[in-house]
Amino acid sequence: MDDTTRDELLRLFESKLKRAAKLYLETCSRCGVCVSACHVYASMPQAKYIAAYRAEIVRRIYKRYFTKKGRFWKSLGESKELSELALSELYEAAYSCTGCRRCMVFCPFGIDTQLIMSIAKLLLIGAHAEPEILSLLADTSVAKGESLEIFREGFLESIKTLENEVVERWRVEAGQTPIPVDQKGADLLYVALAGAHSIVPAAVVFNAAKENWTLSFFEAVNFGAFVGDPVKTRQILDRIVNEARRLGVKEVVICECGTAFRVMKSMAKNEPFKVSSITEVHARYIREGRIKLRKNTLEGTVTYHDPCQLARNGGVMDEPRFILRALTDDFAEMSPDPVMNWCCGGGGGLVAMGEDTLDFRMKSASVKADQVKKTGAKILATACENCHTQLSNLNDHYQMGVDVRFLSSMVADALE
Amino acid sequence: MSDDIKADKVMDLKGLPCPMPVVKISKGIKEVAVGQVVEAVTSDPGALADFPAWAKTSGNEIMKTEQEGKITRFFIRRVK
Amino acid sequence: MDKISYIILVPMVYAAFAVLVLGVSARLVAILRTPRELQTPIYPASGAPYLRALYDSFLMPQVRRHAPVLWVFLMAFHACLLLLLIGHLELVAQMPWEKAFPHQIFLGKGFVGLILAVSLLFFLFRRFSSPVRDLSVPEDYYLLILLFLTVIFGAEMDWARNWYGYGEMGVDQYRQYLTSLVTFHPALPYEVTSAGHRFMLVLHVFFANLFLMVLPFSKIMHAFLALPVNKLRRG
Repeated sequence: MDDTTRDELLRLFESKLKRAAKLYLETCSRCGVCVSACHVYASMPQAKYIAAYRAEIVRRIYKRYFTKKGRFWKSLGESKELSELALSELYEAAYSCTGCRRCMVFCPFGIDTQLIMSIAKLLLIGAHAEPEILSLLADTSVAKGESLEIFREGFLESIKTLENEVVERWRVEAGQTPIPVDQKGADLLYVALAGAHSIVPAAVVFNAAKENWTLSFFEAVNFGAFVGDPVKTRQILDRIVNEARRLGVKEVVICECGTAFRVMKSMAKNEPFKVSSITEVHARYIREGRIKLRKNTLEGTVTYHDPCQLARNGGVMDEPRFILRALTDDFAEMSPDPVMNWCCGGGGGLVAMGEDTLDFRMKSASVKADQVKKTGAKILATACENCHTQLSNLNDHYQMGVDVRFLSSMVADALE
Repeated sequence: MSDDIKADKVMDLKGLPCPMPVVKISKGIKEVAVGQVVEAVTSDPGALADFPAWAKTSGNEIMKTEQEGKITRFFIRRVK
Repeated sequence: MDKISYIILVPMVYAAFAVLVLGVSARLVAILRTPRELQTPIYPASGAPYLRALYDSFLMPQVRRHAPVLWVFLMAFHACLLLLLIGHLELVAQMPWEKAFPHQIFLGKGFVGLILAVSLLFFLFRRFSSPVRDLSVPEDYYLLILLFLTVIFGAEMDWARNWYGYGEMGVDQYRQYLTSLVTFHPALPYEVTSAGHRFMLVLHVFFANLFLMVLPFSKIMHAFLALPVNKLRRG
């Protein structure tokens, strides 16, 4: 690596050295309590998969360039040069971490390994060594925000074709649009994903609850966050924030996508609208009696996988359980404490990297498969697209014999 | 099928989870030679909205879009 | 020899405290002046993040849950460290609480030092086996060895008085010595320079000086950072 590249990368590193990052880099005492936290380590016990070890890969470079101790007495903390080899270590650390932050719950100091991995991810972007597909996805999202007109008509036409499906499942009042888009004066902006499966059931429930809602032009997921690019994360987020402001909605509701919810909830704190997950909204409708569900139509035990970004990192834990208790009397927890639930193994962009990561995703999540099997459940519900894909892959790979379901579509199916 | 454009490869991208339509088309386009055409079939509104932006970003060309009912077909030529 | 003893017992102590105070302040100022970034807490978020952070920092519930044996040693170690800190303060001058609660200076009849030494050995040996070995860097071992040396010579003086009736050098002499240091009129009492056990004192002070001087640049900074870093997790 030449000096110019290294200097450029170190400038990127420095841009990440805000207060929390510094505190995390300075405080670790390498006590090893986090050893049992990571699902990757639990499934494949190799030192490189221990949370503190991952963080140490970044910390060693930090020591070398940003602390006097590491500059003058290199062996003391094993500080390390930023080189091509270091980059490949950073890649392995960052892209075997799903950012679930289970280790943050174990750490006596509460060190956030995901935040430290975001430094690694930014360095990889700077060195053009990040997963190409994640950057392409992020760029595509940014481009969509810049040129609504190139897909607007096609999108609206395609939405029209879904309306029949919605009406078949819940009759709307005369003159009412089954899937309103771009509706000024709506109370609620629903942000979905690319698939029709994230639009139709949600629309059915909104209409059943007589919600004054409108559908966003954009997809909720933020690939900028996956690839760890703060500028693109902001740009992708702003597409939705600007749409919400333009329409003057009171609430932005994020579909079943953990990352999208966490990014929106934490970054749009000071906006004039409230941010909710669709899971919270469904629980609210049930509680307020705006929708009624048929109970016990599901066959077999139901269990629930907590998406990390929704539960531990988003605070939505009671609502899915409330919904499931309205759906069935045969509910079994897979983890005694939602905060401690294992990650599905698909986060941090790993699922988005598709088949390239499939082998690693399956091997690194055997603890998740075991956990699900132990419940004896026939239905595995979850509220995140990413988790759903990964759990479906696990279901095939480990022959778990469960039906992996979206919670929102279970609600739509049970409408009375 | 379109009469005037002949696809060298047809990809069924209907009902895929996020973000597989874009991931698969990105891979698929690399499997044909520069100048050849991939026909991508989708039924998801979001996926449909993604393709023009994806083509712009990845530097490929959408030659034609056919929308009939729920199904949309993109004819994409590999440019580079 | 006397010259070396003097250097260790007087100028080096001043130097050590200067490095400690300036070093820790500079590090804390540097960190706390850095702008904040967006940071998501772990949910369910606590209504009283400072209280939760205090609880996390002082009682380490995470360690208790996931590594109970380590927790016992960590709690014992840190509690004894606190007792020792009080003990050393009482050596400097008579503390107001001494009257309200009459006790022998250096509580624990020698067992506090023993517990510290044993805990340090436990921490050290723990680092020799995987998976903690894989995480450890040389600093981790050096610090434990340095602390162990400091503790063992300090504790030996305590054990000599408590367990073997050694009376040549005691609280009065230490107090005379330390008071002279804090009033900036350094003077070494006769016993401190000539008693048979003076080498223990000199070595204890030497290693303690070293420890205080490396503290601001080591992971021992967690003593000061544990609270703010834990606060981030609690919102």
